[in-house]
Amino acid sequence: MNDAFNRREFLKLVTIASTGTLAACSPAPPQKVIPYVIPPEDVVPGLSYWFKTTCRECPAGCGMMARTREGRVVKVEGNPEHPINRGALCARGQAALQGLYNPDRIAGPLRRTPEGRLEPITWEQAEDALVALFRFLRQERRNATVALLTERISGATEKFFRDLFAVFPAGQVIQYEPFAYEALRAGNRIAFGTSEIPHYDIAAARMLVSFGADFLETWLSNVECARAFADARRRHERDAMRFVAVEPRLSLTAANADAWLPARPGSEAALALALVYEILRSGRARLSSTEAARIGQLVANFDAETAERLTDVPAETIRALAREFATADPGLALGPGVAASGPAATALQVAVNLLNYVCGNVNRTVQFGRGSNWDRVATHAEMLEFIERMRAGRVDVLFFHHANPVYALPPTAGFARALQRVRLKVSFSPFLDETTAQCDLILPDHTPLERWEEYQPRAGIRALVQPTMAGGFHFQSRQAADVLLRVVRRADATLSRPFPFENFRAYLENEWRAVHRAVAPEQSFAEFWRSAVEAGGIWREVPLRPVRLSDAVFRFDFSPALAVHTERDESFALLVFPTAERFDGRGANRPWLQETPDAMTKIVWSAWAELHPETARRYGVSEGDLLKVSSPHGEIQLPAHLTPTVRLDTVAIPLGQGHTSFGRWAADCGPTPLALLSADVEATSGGLLYGGTRVRIARLPVRRLLARTQLETSQHEREIARVVPLAELVAGSVRRDPEPRLSLYPEHTHDGHRWGMAIDLDACIGCNACVVACSIENNVPWVGALQVDRGRHMTWMRIDRYWEPAPEAQPIGGVTPLETHFLPMLCQHCDHAPCESVCPVYATYHNHEGLNVQVYNRCVGTRYCSNNCPYKVRRFHWFDDQWPWPLALGLNPDVTARTKGVMGKCTFCVQRIRAAKDQAKDENRTVRDGEIIPACAQTCPADAIVFGDLNDPNSRVRQLSDSPRGYHVLGELNTRPAITYLKKIRRSVPDRHPGEDG
Amino acid sequence: MPELTYSRVNRDILRTLETPGRAYWIAVALLAAGVALGGYCWGTQIQTGMGVSGKFIPTAWFAYITTFVFWVGIAHSGTLISAILFLFRARWRTPVYRSAEAMTVFAVMTAGLFPLIHLGRAWQFYWLLPYPNERQLWPNFRSPLLWDVFAVTTYFTVSAMFLYLGLIPDIAAARDRATGWRRRLYRLASLGWRGTDTEWTHYSSAYMFFAAFATPLVVSVHSVVSWDFTMSIVPGWHSTIFAPYFVAGAIHSGLAMVITLLIPLRRLFRLEQFLETLHFEQLARLMIVTGLIVGYAYGVEFFVAWYSGNPFELSTFLDRAFGPHGDLFWAMVVFNCGLPLLFFAPRLRRNYAVLLTVSVLVNVGMWLERFVIIAVSLTNDYLPAIWRKTFHFTWVEAGILFGSLCWFLLLFFLFAKIFPTVSITEVKEALPEPKRTVTVEGNA
Repeated sequence: MNDAFNRREFLKLVTIASTGTLAACSPAPPQKVIPYVIPPEDVVPGLSYWFKTTCRECPAGCGMMARTREGRVVKVEGNPEHPINRGALCARGQAALQGLYNPDRIAGPLRRTPEGRLEPITWEQAEDALVALFRFLRQERRNATVALLTERISGATEKFFRDLFAVFPAGQVIQYEPFAYEALRAGNRIAFGTSEIPHYDIAAARMLVSFGADFLETWLSNVECARAFADARRRHERDAMRFVAVEPRLSLTAANADAWLPARPGSEAALALALVYEILRSGRARLSSTEAARIGQLVANFDAETAERLTDVPAETIRALAREFATADPGLALGPGVAASGPAATALQVAVNLLNYVCGNVNRTVQFGRGSNWDRVATHAEMLEFIERMRAGRVDVLFFHHANPVYALPPTAGFARALQRVRLKVSFSPFLDETTAQCDLILPDHTPLERWEEYQPRAGIRALVQPTMAGGFHFQSRQAADVLLRVVRRADATLSRPFPFENFRAYLENEWRAVHRAVAPEQSFAEFWRSAVEAGGIWREVPLRPVRLSDAVFRFDFSPALAVHTERDESFALLVFPTAERFDGRGANRPWLQETPDAMTKIVWSAWAELHPETARRYGVSEGDLLKVSSPHGEIQLPAHLTPTVRLDTVAIPLGQGHTSFGRWAADCGPTPLALLSADVEATSGGLLYGGTRVRIARLPVRRLLARTQLETSQHEREIARVVPLAELVAGSVRRDPEPRLSLYPEHTHDGHRWGMAIDLDACIGCNACVVACSIENNVPWVGALQVDRGRHMTWMRIDRYWEPAPEAQPIGGVTPLETHFLPMLCQHCDHAPCESVCPVYATYHNHEGLNVQVYNRCVGTRYCSNNCPYKVRRFHWFDDQWPWPLALGLNPDVTARTKGVMGKCTFCVQRIRAAKDQAKDENRTVRDGEIIPACAQTCPADAIVFGDLNDPNSRVRQLSDSPRGYHVLGELNTRPAITYLKKIRRSVPDRHPGEDG
Repeated sequence: MPELTYSRVNRDILRTLETPGRAYWIAVALLAAGVALGGYCWGTQIQTGMGVSGKFIPTAWFAYITTFVFWVGIAHSGTLISAILFLFRARWRTPVYRSAEAMTVFAVMTAGLFPLIHLGRAWQFYWLLPYPNERQLWPNFRSPLLWDVFAVTTYFTVSAMFLYLGLIPDIAAARDRATGWRRRLYRLASLGWRGTDTEWTHYSSAYMFFAAFATPLVVSVHSVVSWDFTMSIVPGWHSTIFAPYFVAGAIHSGLAMVITLLIPLRRLFRLEQFLETLHFEQLARLMIVTGLIVGYAYGVEFFVAWYSGNPFELSTFLDRAFGPHGDLFWAMVVFNCGLPLLFFAPRLRRNYAVLLTVSVLVNVGMWLERFVIIAVSLTNDYLPAIWRKTFHFTWVEAGILFGSLCWFLLLFFLFAKIFPTVSITEVKEALPEPKRTVTVEGNA
């Protein structure tokens, strides 16, 4: 039926339609910063304006606020009132600014010429082409299949696209997310009869067991999880939360666990089932005896010994863990993340559900009704089906809306090849990504910071995305929905009725009239709308929807949980994992995300393959050697990174690199492990098999640059990151470590304020959000892999990470469990600052408020201060900073950009101190505690950083600084830092004492 | 020196000032090209940024400061030979002291370049000087770098004046024979010296005064330079032994440099009669002493690192000897402490080839010593998280270092053709008085 027309016909159509208006070029956008002749009444130069919006860097949907100065966004922060992230943002959210100002954004609409080149056209031409296309499709080729492939959308946005694509007789909207959590959805459907992904109340849990859920990095909603995790960790008393992570590689999440159980890849389900088995056997289940018996039958094959054989985790440990988990009131087990999504992923989720169920956690910490609905996001199986249709030539026109399947799907899925069979491809992407590069018509959309949208991250939250600055400031982008509205009306007059709106904002407002009637009919709509936009959306508490165990679970076949590769051979389990900084690769063109060191390996600007040093020795591989990793489905080459944090039978490769067309910063950063994955899907859920692939490795005689910001992993018994056992803390026997109090010089007096900081090492999860926030706030430049390798990275804040063998821990599967210490390191603003006395020109000095101040103008660049700084937090400007236009537009105007040859460092965000003091002075009062929040503290999801006035005995920072857990890093040097660190708490780990019922 | 007469001394020494040959001009041209290369590299560094050098965090001081200390060290034995040995009436210093003194001044001039080259913003160097200004901005008198500025400028001033003072009678001697621009230059530079008794009296007491004044500077200047390091809290730098250790090291390297320069000079200018083997032997003996002192200091540093019980200090020293740059450390020990012991054998210290080789290697060793102390210590300080032990020596750095060596040699070459490198006055003092009947050429 599709022989009636072909691709050439479409192209011709697009070309002819647009020649008519060739002359009508759009006028150049206004260039004035602020027209002073008639000053706008609502913009005062020098003042910041905040716009609340929603972060769209991942599907989590955190609330965001954008700070604008003179009409330009200069910083994004979390919305403190937003229920998901409560003011915090992760590294990716912080870097959203570099998406907005990215110089590799598409400048304006592009069209593919008959020769195959992309040529710029005007928006009029582009819209004319679309109008012609719409008419053609609606009038002449009514049987043509039209599809929109979009990222996860919801609320009014989703309705809009659904309705709009319904104007085509065979139109459809497919939502595509690389991480679609198929196993969670399927596992919940099987266990509880609902595919909802529930809200997990991590904060309430007293015992948390994660089976490969990287909830502090990418899993579902990492900032929300991190916030809840930190809340739980703050209970230091007897109801303290303990956390055990089961995964073959020490991820950032596992690094925050009290015990890391490096189980064999793919064996997590067996472990979870063994826990169910042991809990039932010991009679600790909170169930009726009939139900217990039924479930017992279901898991009868999974005793602790079987699990030991499959997982490498000793049966003794499994029993102890079962005992501990069953007695925790409540506990919480979390199911698979991306790295654990192998052939047994659904089995694992069902097992996790059973585990939660037998311990009575379901409807307590596992809250259905408050979760998120992913039903309309296509599973991998559905995507494969769609690809099959494309390949068969049954998709005629395909629109892409912020989806990049050419990159994000494994090559074995064959998307790129199938795409060639699609007759016309239209992309709304602001970037020339891999998918867009294959399209025929490119109509660059605004980035999320310039457009209107509604997003519903989970039940009860209707979040609004609003433009925080005028679009088209440098790039001639237009919101896709606006373009479609205009086009659809022009294409067919009859469509003016269903789509009478001038733009998407009007559509959205109209949609919200219904919301208004349902939520706040007592208010006027204008008032309601205004307050909703000002707040960034509306949210309310949603009731729990209790679930019961479904009968389907008793028919579930757990055999994939037994199919664990336990033989010792020359093949390795491939562990494909996402990281907190790079997620699925959609942020790879943000230079600050590339330069932010991976939380665990500290690698920047590159992909890597993690090998255990013992494995590496066997293969003669050393750090940075190029490895050939081959699976039955493909082969990639990437540098090896040796680390004791991965199992001996596993090769771990991160997702997120390997872009071939996504801008200058995404290029040349190594391959993506997707090339190694099979085209199969996980049978039950239809999920992409990120796990379960076996690979072989071979060393190639080449070395690759693998730049890391930190090379040494041990703290050499220097007690830099200190630990206190929970038992001692509860017993109240913790005392401050002694420090010298000697001085030749008179002490600083610090009349008025004395600024200080407290950093809780027990709360810090090492996620790097502060690092990016600091860099964006303070105009810190990035320098690229080569310079990082040379030791010239510029971050004012860094997270030092040390590993020590965990005390009393036994090796599991040849891997020694490690205790990880994260130590956020920034200028300590010492009272006796070693840097101050050595500067010959007073470029750095101690001010009367306790700040160690750096005067860039006075600095001549002797670098003596850096040598003498025992914390090495000073950063020298080796070169002039590079801010390719228009990235420079996003620089913070309150912070001096440094020239080459001067030293810079953390200022405690002195510009924020200044602003708060000015404000206080205007209001004739003193600065309130908590009024000044430096960028790092502001974005910390764990609230690990507290800033304030140490002179105020009631301030939070003072109280934390006086904590018995407090100590100063290198305090024995008598530097007297203004930053007090609170020791990490070592919680007793469940598997240490032999069980009484074992 | 039985056959030497006053006139012969005048003739032989002033002969070295005669119109130079082709070899000299080629040498000068090559050296000037080397200086130009260094200038180009410095220009590149100023234009592009300090990143073109091999420095990084934590090793923010690298080859430039190493070379600065090296040249300051070289500068020291000049004053030692000219002033201290003068006060001790060590007669054998006579023929070598002028070269040593000139070397001092030029070494300080070379050394003085490096703090400027090293600055991130070299064009703001004058902010290090305490000059009055309307904003009342003064430098930080607590900073050892500022002490350095004072120490080095003082040392340069005094050693330059000392050199010049000793030159005045010799310039006058040259003036009386010279023609053309040389005559005008010498006339101006000799300050109207006529050689009267009053002038000689004043000259002698002034020379004595400067010798006495310069002597404590030998000790103080390099002590101050060592305080650049000891006043910091960097493990491997923060040590009370540094002042005497650096002074001894400075003299050690200075002696080596004097020998390195004099052996070719002696051949080039045919000064065998004045510079005898005995003089070199004395220098070599002195090197044994300084080498042993330096070796002792190396040992004490390790002992203190262990004895202090300071884990940071101990780690740094273990890293110094057995870490990735241990080879540099052992090379430095062998060159500075081992090789000078060869001079216990008279046969070896009288052999010019051995003397030259050992001196050059001691110079290399002393550069390595400063490099090991400065750069290698920095790679291993308090927080292991920032340890970074790979060095990347860049072509810009190499160019600047090479250029500075050329600069030093160029100054020396030019000096040797303009002023007498052996003191006519003092050589004559050592001769028996001539009989009055003999006509004396020149009146000095």
